[in-house]
Amino acid sequence: MCGIVGYFDKTTANQTAVGERLLKMLEALACRGPDSAGVAMFGSLPPRHLVAQVKLGDSDNLAERAQLVTELAKEFGGEEFSRADAYLRFLFKEVDNLKPFLSKIESAGHDVEVVSVGRRLEIVKEVGSPGRLEKAFQVSKFQGKYGIGHTRLSTESVVDLSHSQPFWGHGYADLAIVHNGHITNYHQLRRIYEQRGVRFYTENDSEIVATFLADKLRQGKDLEAALHSMIIELDGSFSCLVATDKAFGFVKDPFSFKPLLFAETDQFVAVATEEVALRGAIPGNYSAREAQAREVKVWQT
Amino acid sequence: MANIDASAQSVREINQAIRHGIGRKEAVIVQNPGARHNLGVALLEVGEVRIAGSVGYYCGGLSDGASIEIEGSAGWGLAESMLSGTVRVHGNAGSGAAAALRGGTVVIHGDAAARLGVSLKGGTVLVGGNCGYMAGFMAQKGTLVVCGDAGEAFADSMYATECYVGGKVTNLGTDAVLATMDPGDVVRLEEMLAAYLPPALRKTKPRAVDFKKVVSGRKLWNFDKRAWKIWQEAL
Repeated sequence: MCGIVGYFDKTTANQTAVGERLLKMLEALACRGPDSAGVAMFGSLPPRHLVAQVKLGDSDNLAERAQLVTELAKEFGGEEFSRADAYLRFLFKEVDNLKPFLSKIESAGHDVEVVSVGRRLEIVKEVGSPGRLEKAFQVSKFQGKYGIGHTRLSTESVVDLSHSQPFWGHGYADLAIVHNGHITNYHQLRRIYEQRGVRFYTENDSEIVATFLADKLRQGKDLEAALHSMIIELDGSFSCLVATDKAFGFVKDPFSFKPLLFAETDQFVAVATEEVALRGAIPGNYSAREAQAREVKVWQT
Repeated sequence: MANIDASAQSVREINQAIRHGIGRKEAVIVQNPGARHNLGVALLEVGEVRIAGSVGYYCGGLSDGASIEIEGSAGWGLAESMLSGTVRVHGNAGSGAAAALRGGTVVIHGDAAARLGVSLKGGTVLVGGNCGYMAGFMAQKGTLVVCGDAGEAFADSMYATECYVGGKVTNLGTDAVLATMDPGDVVRLEEMLAAYLPPALRKTKPRAVDFKKVVSGRKLWNFDKRAWKIWQEAL
């Protein structure tokens, strides 16, 4: 199972209660997966800054870790540090190459992981229900233009914070994915990427979707073309929602194994695994349609 | 008239209220369905149910005689294995609509997603818009009408269902073949469309005479090792 949701505000407003929308949609889908919940939201930042969300570790020395990561982040102009649960959030100065930043921050401990970096993107996830996610991060207060969310029923890898979704396209700023399904050529693809030096943080097959798309976007493809190449190169079942700083879209596998439906009006685009998530979160008179097999749809931000 | 507000009740309570309404020969209206699953499942008596909004999975499934009108969209497995009666959806339907339908009529004004009418065992399915991947797979009896375009692998490995498509077919499935529309087919289709999907209710509006007819090529009915190639493709 698993439930995925997405919301995109089409009006000119840059600030809408996207967090609240996503949370309500996730709550309506929580019965599809009680193992973990997470959101990737796109807000706005001061110019020439990036925002990072860093997982401080799995043990109980989080305060110590926070201090260590704070010191390391200051080398990159880190500021406005704030800690919520196992996460440290901070801003730092924009860089073209994220590699030095990532290896420095993640040197703080083997279980320290940079969960997201972006000009707009912030990912937070938590083991348990959407209610727990809200309690830890006050997701409903987040103002932004669009975002995606996930509620997980684990079928092939462990339940912990790192294995939860959304996944960041690690090393590629502002790319986030949520995936419902199974990627059956995951191990083959993973070996190919590992030979190229890509580090995987989990045993979750959904992580490969983010890695794959980051690779295609780096090659210069736009999001629409990258999503089409997923249909060709990834096997198995996938209904995926993907967002970058430039675009928001979805893709469905050739066999239409997994549900995904969307509603579009002049004001918004809303996408979810089940219509109950749309009706529960967004009042009004609009119609929804199940995406067809191989369907790709992208909206520019 | 039985007026049911679904918002504050469990699915079991809603379905019990629907059955009570039908049992008392009252027209039933379900308000605020909120796209919830399993509404109006296994209604075994003749009666009328109007659902004022969208429904989730399996609406109308296993029913025998009820007439259900859904004013929004429907999720997966609409009217699955229905025995008789009518299910009408004003919006779109999710995957597996009318799967294993045994009798009665399923009408979708908008689009149907993947696996429409798979293993159809009787009855009539009419779609005003397009249908998705693998519609009519292994269908055995009954009639499937799609006014718009049909997706990939249409009518794959079918036994004896008759299909009519008003728009384009992305590709025909294994052993599905185009047949000639004879005057009898045109009259029958005209009557079905007039009765269930007049142009005002349809997303796409081709004339009956412009539909294509798709039937089984019957090459998979009996195994023949000389026709090994078609079996290789089918399996």
